[in-house]
Amino acid sequence: MSAVSDHTPNAAPDPAGGDNAAQPPPANDAGAVFYDGTSNRKRRVTLQFNAALDIVEDGLVIASWPYADIRQVDSTRAMRLSAVSAPTLARLEIEDKTAAERIAALCPALDAARGGKQTGRIVAWSLAAACSIILVTVFGIPLIADRMAPLVPFAIEKRMGEAVDRQARAILGGRDCTNPEGQAAFTKMVARLKDASGFDTPLEAAVLSSSIPNAFALPGGRVYLLDGLLQKANNVDEVAGVLAHELGHAHNRDGMRKIIQTGGSSFLIGLLFGDVTGGGAVLFAARSIIDASYSREAETRADDFAIQGMHALGRSPEPLGEFLVRMTGGSRVATIIDSHPVSAERLDRMKKEARPVTGEPVLTDQEWKALKSICRANGGETGADAARPARKTADR
Amino acid sequence: MHMPMPASVPSVPPPQPSAPQAVTFTGERRDFRKMLTRGSWLELITLGFYRFWLATDMRRHLWSHTAVAGDTAEYTGTAKELLIGFLVALAIMVPIYLVYFFIGLEAERHQAFASIPLFVFFYLFTHFALYRARRYRLTRTIWRGVRFWMGGSGWSYAWRAALWGALVWITLGLALPWRTAALERFKMRYTSYGDLQGSFEGTGGAFFKKGWWLWLLAWPAAFMIIPLPFIYAMYKAIEWRWWMSGIRIGAVRFENDLDIGDLLGVYWKVVGWIVLFLTLLGLWFGAVFGIGWSTVAPATGSTELKMAIITAHPGILAVLGLGYLLMAIGLNIVMRLYLMRDIWAKVAGTTVVHNLEAADNVTSQGDAVNALGEGFADSLDVGGF
Repeated sequence: MSAVSDHTPNAAPDPAGGDNAAQPPPANDAGAVFYDGTSNRKRRVTLQFNAALDIVEDGLVIASWPYADIRQVDSTRAMRLSAVSAPTLARLEIEDKTAAERIAALCPALDAARGGKQTGRIVAWSLAAACSIILVTVFGIPLIADRMAPLVPFAIEKRMGEAVDRQARAILGGRDCTNPEGQAAFTKMVARLKDASGFDTPLEAAVLSSSIPNAFALPGGRVYLLDGLLQKANNVDEVAGVLAHELGHAHNRDGMRKIIQTGGSSFLIGLLFGDVTGGGAVLFAARSIIDASYSREAETRADDFAIQGMHALGRSPEPLGEFLVRMTGGSRVATIIDSHPVSAERLDRMKKEARPVTGEPVLTDQEWKALKSICRANGGETGADAARPARKTADR
Repeated sequence: MHMPMPASVPSVPPPQPSAPQAVTFTGERRDFRKMLTRGSWLELITLGFYRFWLATDMRRHLWSHTAVAGDTAEYTGTAKELLIGFLVALAIMVPIYLVYFFIGLEAERHQAFASIPLFVFFYLFTHFALYRARRYRLTRTIWRGVRFWMGGSGWSYAWRAALWGALVWITLGLALPWRTAALERFKMRYTSYGDLQGSFEGTGGAFFKKGWWLWLLAWPAAFMIIPLPFIYAMYKAIEWRWWMSGIRIGAVRFENDLDIGDLLGVYWKVVGWIVLFLTLLGLWFGAVFGIGWSTVAPATGSTELKMAIITAHPGILAVLGLGYLLMAIGLNIVMRLYLMRDIWAKVAGTTVVHNLEAADNVTSQGDAVNALGEGFADSLDVGGF
């Protein structure tokens, strides 16, 4: 049975590994190897199929396993058994085929330990867990973020803003544009919009010398306009609309809300996909879809804010809509300003809200010109940037 | 050394010096591949939860087809234990991650190198988790009705791993053999089979003597890329042989004569598969972008704008994602089949055990430990077997 020399004295009279050569066992019996669960000593035993399975060594019953307690465990060579009522590691190894068949017939719960895996159940529960996580992500997290964002003290939001600010500036590579006349025009525009829309929290607005046509708001009341956007604007109302929209984000504390939402959703989705094959890609795709759906709502609210602001100034929000469409090619698919609602839809809204112009222009022509060249510095530090907007306009 | 009889020469009491016993692996490659394929799809469908069951199935297959002196091992771990270990680990990790998030935020503000201690913490934690995961697997490994066991402090191991890691870094890899030896000594010192105490007698010096020339070759090879699999195969073959010959369990010794050629074939096949999958993925992406260019993108506008619009289209994202997923599943199957199963089979097939009769009358000792370590390793994405 085994190549290993056997030290057990009782095995000595049973030479050459013959299972039933030395003493003729009753027809009822079968040879086996038994490990008692306290030692790894190989004990050659005979099995007696009585009321329970009796394990006999040297004519003495050393263990008796009720058939219902017997379980089959992993082995690729012989049938290997354990019993729930025996020590955990007690093992019985049966090489004899007929004996193994007999055991299989006698033990009702032989495969209870191994056959317990129901793939269907695993799949069903996984999907249930996935569903609940997705529901919480889609419905619960925005709710939590809405409740939590206003509760976060402004000082903390400001700190987070500082952290994000460094990254944003590093990515954009732009500097503050400080042409004095342009700066004055910009300050006037911001002040007029603030007054008109009832913006009441601290605000830091600036123009950055990046040629990307965009504008954004960061947590802590930071609003940035990029030079690329200024260059693409045809008139002052377009820029005022964009700025009002970003003020809306700052007013609604969307940055803070977004941090809570992104943190929460990436945590939950990460939890869900843990280690799945290709989890990275799925995680990214799921995150961007969910984040986009969050921000579409925020964008709509910021648009509301912009529309109200423009109305209060006696200006029409329609140029904002036209500007958005012009910048994104007016296609009906998601856009360069990702996660925003389709710009054609936004234009429709702005058109609906269009009113005859009653107020004076936000900036004079002189000021508008100054604002447009806020990054065309006399200091010469943005000389390189001056060429870029020209190329951009040529693209149009 | 704790054993009463000297470990160096076959002792007097057994009448004849026993012949070395073979380690054999009898698992069918086809069975393992089928299990992997099915498991990988299930992993995808269950969004990853099936990984606990697949890992358990793989271990059961490998363990139960591996025999020493004709007696096969048994893996008694269950997927449920792994799942619970993961959930508990999650409960502990969540607050840690939250604290990590806020500390990181502060660090970002001050722009100091304040995030380095955090990195060190996660490095330590990873090694702690790996140590505890080894402990889980070992206590689920049964041979002849007695389980292996492992004690020792995971944190104490983690510190050693980190300090040795720093030394390897400083010495540009030259200290690697001594690090491996030191960590292996630590692990084996706390490893036992029943009441038979393990130890590790391999030395960093011996490892270094066998493999120092690889260190020299690795530098030019790093620039030429192609020779890297050769060098890695040679390194692994040397490491396996050295490692096996250093392991002691009581007076039981192991010996391995793994050939570089054995491993080289496996690694080149893996490289071939990776190249194939990446090529297919490239073709897939190229085709999808080509179609997107002619359908979704606007007729006018800059190239960046067109690309941005294409990559923002949900349909295109979905098709790109699908291609990526298929590749990831394929690669996952290849990695586990070649690097786990094939290497296991080759190492087992080339190993013999000396003095096995020293393990003939071992008293069982120690109980199964929980799967928390596995859970940590899993949540840190460093799970091994």
